[in-house]
Amino acid sequence: MTIALPSRTASHRYNWVAIVLHWTIGLGILATLAMGLAMAHAPLSPLIKFKLFQLHKSVGLTILMAAMLRLLWRLAHRPPPLPGDMPAWEKSAAEGTHVLLYVLMIGMPLVGWALVSASPLNIPTVLYGVVPWPHIPVTAWFGWNKPQASAVLDTIHAYGGYALIALLLLHVGAALRHHFILRDTVLRRMIPGLPWLGRPTLRRG
Amino acid sequence: MKTRSISAAAVLLMGLSTAAEAASWTVDPAKSQLGFTGQQTGAPFTGRFKSWTAAIDFDPAHPEAGHVSAAIDIASASTEDPQKDEALPTPDWFDATQFGKATFEATGFTPKGGDAFETSGKLTLRGVSKAVVLPFTLTITGDQAHAVGHAKLMRTDFGVGQGSWASADYVALDVTVDVDLVATRKP
Repeated sequence: MTIALPSRTASHRYNWVAIVLHWTIGLGILATLAMGLAMAHAPLSPLIKFKLFQLHKSVGLTILMAAMLRLLWRLAHRPPPLPGDMPAWEKSAAEGTHVLLYVLMIGMPLVGWALVSASPLNIPTVLYGVVPWPHIPVTAWFGWNKPQASAVLDTIHAYGGYALIALLLLHVGAALRHHFILRDTVLRRMIPGLPWLGRPTLRRG
Repeated sequence: MKTRSISAAAVLLMGLSTAAEAASWTVDPAKSQLGFTGQQTGAPFTGRFKSWTAAIDFDPAHPEAGHVSAAIDIASASTEDPQKDEALPTPDWFDATQFGKATFEATGFTPKGGDAFETSGKLTLRGVSKAVVLPFTLTITGDQAHAVGHAKLMRTDFGVGQGSWASADYVALDVTVDVDLVATRKP
């Protein structure tokens, strides 16, 4: 007796590498956004604030590395198809949101990295307190005036954060709409372990 | 003839007393520690220098002739916190590339009763020399001496902490240098 692997079903789901990277990045983004908002607006003690900054830098750089891997993986592997009866504008909107998310997932940590590199405080970055991470020699390479550059980068990083919150709401909202309102398989493609929990259908119920 | 013997005796006595005053001690680096205590955003931290040398002359009968001369390899500072250790050698703090050595030179130990002494010496750190008072206790057991002392100083007196770090906003200005030396008498 031979057991045939459900290859058709598998191809309609994201690969496990993509799933792991997706949720790692997702949790990282939620954590950095929460920390970033607290660092900028909460009345925290200097010690707690300092520690939050260090953790924020570590998680942000983790997102950068995971997002670059995710992008490479995505370019090398076609994502599972969207439901055939999905309107073209919805497909374009999904595609556009994903592109913007990639821009921010990679752009925000890069701006943050430049920001700490341009900080006149010169606080070293040590990933999770263990691995020293180099700073970009912004003055030597780009001739930046540190106080001026850090003020500009700080503003970009803050607005990028708000843009990321908006995109995240759109992304999560759309996924939940697919699952609970349209009742299709779009969200389930990204949920770990689901193939064993029932055969997905590509039709809208 | 008589004069000669007197002068000979004087020379002998002088020689003896010089030998006594110059009682030299050899520091045991394995049992000794040279470090510092500071405070960052309210949290105390300690560090130590892993590489330094000290020459000590001390005769309990003549503390006023005591002498200590120490040279500290500034790049060897370690706090066991990678972030602080990355920052310390940079120009904002010790600027270890430009000022590789710190030195402390003091002559004359003032007895303060019991095993307590005090010495005032010249600390050169980051190219700046300033007088620093080092109170310490000294216990001598046989040929072994144990000195423990803490010198208080303002890090900004020596330019340790540049730019925004010259304020006490994040890192306190008061720093204690912690000395714990074990030395044996040179034969």
